[in-house]
Amino acid sequence: MLSVSNLSISFEENQVLNGFNLELESGDIFALLGDSGSGKSCALRFIAGLDNAQDGSVNLDGMDLSNRGEHQVEPEARKIGMVFQDYALFPHMTVFQNICFGINKLSKEQKTEKVNELLQLIYLEGIEKKYPHQLSGGEQQRVSLARSLATSPKLLLLDEPFSSLDKSHRNQLVKEVRSILKKARMTSILVTHDEAEAKSFADMVGKIDKKQLHIN
Amino acid sequence: MPIFVVASAWLLPGGELWTHFAQTLLSDLVLSTTILLIGVGLGVSVLGTILAYLVVMVEFPGRRWLEWALFLPFAIPAYVLAFVYLGVFDYSGYVQVWMREILGLPGFDIRAGYWAITLTFILVFYPYVYMMARASFKRQKIHMIEAGKMLGASPIRVFWKISVPLARPAIAAGLLVTLMETLADFGVVSLFNYSTFTTAIYSAWGDFRSIEVAAQLASLLVLVAFFLIYFERRARGKAKYYSTDISHIRPYVASGWIGWLLFLFVFSVFMLSFAMPILQIIIWSIEVFAKEWSGKYIGFISSTAILTLSAAALTVTVATILALPSSCKNNSRVLQMLIHFSTLGYALPGSVMAVGLMYGVQNISLINEYFGGSSLNHLLFGSIALLLFAYVSRFMAIAYNSANASAEQIKPVYEQSARLLGASRFRLVWKVYLPMMTPGIMAGALLVAVDVMKELPATYLLRPFGWDTLAIRVYELSAEGLFERAAVPALMMVVFGAVLMLAFNKLDSSRL
Repeated sequence: MLSVSNLSISFEENQVLNGFNLELESGDIFALLGDSGSGKSCALRFIAGLDNAQDGSVNLDGMDLSNRGEHQVEPEARKIGMVFQDYALFPHMTVFQNICFGINKLSKEQKTEKVNELLQLIYLEGIEKKYPHQLSGGEQQRVSLARSLATSPKLLLLDEPFSSLDKSHRNQLVKEVRSILKKARMTSILVTHDEAEAKSFADMVGKIDKKQLHIN
Repeated sequence: MPIFVVASAWLLPGGELWTHFAQTLLSDLVLSTTILLIGVGLGVSVLGTILAYLVVMVEFPGRRWLEWALFLPFAIPAYVLAFVYLGVFDYSGYVQVWMREILGLPGFDIRAGYWAITLTFILVFYPYVYMMARASFKRQKIHMIEAGKMLGASPIRVFWKISVPLARPAIAAGLLVTLMETLADFGVVSLFNYSTFTTAIYSAWGDFRSIEVAAQLASLLVLVAFFLIYFERRARGKAKYYSTDISHIRPYVASGWIGWLLFLFVFSVFMLSFAMPILQIIIWSIEVFAKEWSGKYIGFISSTAILTLSAAALTVTVATILALPSSCKNNSRVLQMLIHFSTLGYALPGSVMAVGLMYGVQNISLINEYFGGSSLNHLLFGSIALLLFAYVSRFMAIAYNSANASAEQIKPVYEQSARLLGASRFRLVWKVYLPMMTPGIMAGALLVAVDVMKELPATYLLRPFGWDTLAIRVYELSAEGLFERAAVPALMMVVFGAVLMLAFNKLDSSRL
């Protein structure tokens, strides 16, 4: 379903990834572990089409998104969702408007239906009129997840989404998000530096070591 | 003080003339001023915002140098751009001569209607919006844009739905300064024979010798300014989008012909607003330099430099004190009102400011004499102090808005943590607030310096004997229609202004 092959990334003289390969089946939840600076976020951002690489190809559902380090498809057309570490919720929009940002072509009724469905999924019904600053960190992160799921992406990328939460909330949310993704049968990649978090979140854990991916 | 003096004019007799004004001219004045404000406001908002977005968010050929080049029109006084445009596009200018003789087309009247004057104002004032919007776009979190992209939004949708709403407070601040400048302008409107409140004030005073009617009109102008400030506050709303991270990554790359098209667009704005007028001024200056240059210019240059630098330093100091984040300021409505009042001077035409001050000083002196003191007139009239006071009152809004915009980005948590670390109020201000506000303070200082250098009417009326500035020289020559000779001091002002802008840009780009 997703195939990343021969990904190589370097910054000036410093090579962080060399010959990174990854294959995922539909519905897989994968965690990518690595120390800071190991290139795990770079790999994720290359898959998203946000950053460039020296070499590497990405194929999603039979479609070439990137080939030999060149992006064939722009990020906005990849049908890939992304959840950021700082949530990146739009501060000037309500929860409803944030979730609807990617599905603006639907009718008002369809949007309302979709938002209600997603809020139910993330256990936050009734907050659609609130602004991001009125929510807790965990709530913001779940809204950010709902926003990404709204567009029904083929693949969801999560870039250290739990790292700014406190530990007690984090463990709870890791389990919740996993169950949400399982329910939605969403193929996902989580990037983290926390091994325990990786294990409790994913079906499969890989670690970047010596510029390459090793899957346990 | 000048505001109270002009407002007090309603208490004085002068009724007949005012009734005459109100019946015959007022509705036309309101209409023409409104049309001008709407046109200029729309134009600078759209142009300034688009230019700022392009240079911050999109990589295209020539982007690097255009980013700072777009600031340069700040260095050109509005009346200089106006006389250059008139010189080039007027009936006897190159363009119309060429149209008539080569193409056989009929000429046009550049002074008719409002499109030419609106366009001139837009080209002079767009940098206010450009500058504020650019700083704001640079502080937008790149993740915000990337999130938009990952949700499938096109570049235009990201611009319209994410970047512009987040930059709204900055755009509104730039727009406010522009509208106040337009309201207070005398040079451009009089060169284009366009009637606004400001020209009416001059005419009430100059033609009818009625200081009361002039002051009454001026007080209406202050009222309009008050509304503008109110609407800017409304437009800002309660929205405070803190972000201190500055990104150097450009989320979009325009390559191929789209990139060159963008270059062409941005470049033509630069050509029209700066390069072409400068070229014209240089040509005229070369033609008449030998006739115009004399030892007197040393005096013009040194007065200009001394007044500009001291006024900028003074204004910025006061503005910084007013803009410092403080819980007692936030909680006191009276203090906030006073700050609003202190920034209203921007909408006062320089001459009204001057008359208000002179009138006020005279009254203070009379009161002092009444209580047995001696006359203070000789101390105050024609003194540098009074002129500097006029500059500070008039340009406070620019310095304040700029310093305040950076103060508003300081999170309350800094104060709290500094306090917990045992810092005194003074240390908090000196070590935390001031360094964080420096970009805004410096931007304000620069804008004030350029504006003081260009300021005409208040300088004309209040300057001490022997303190002629370059602006005065430009005015005196162009008032006699000697545009070619006026180009010499105008060129010096532009060079001086451009140096200030480049210095600012260097400082700014190391921070932004």
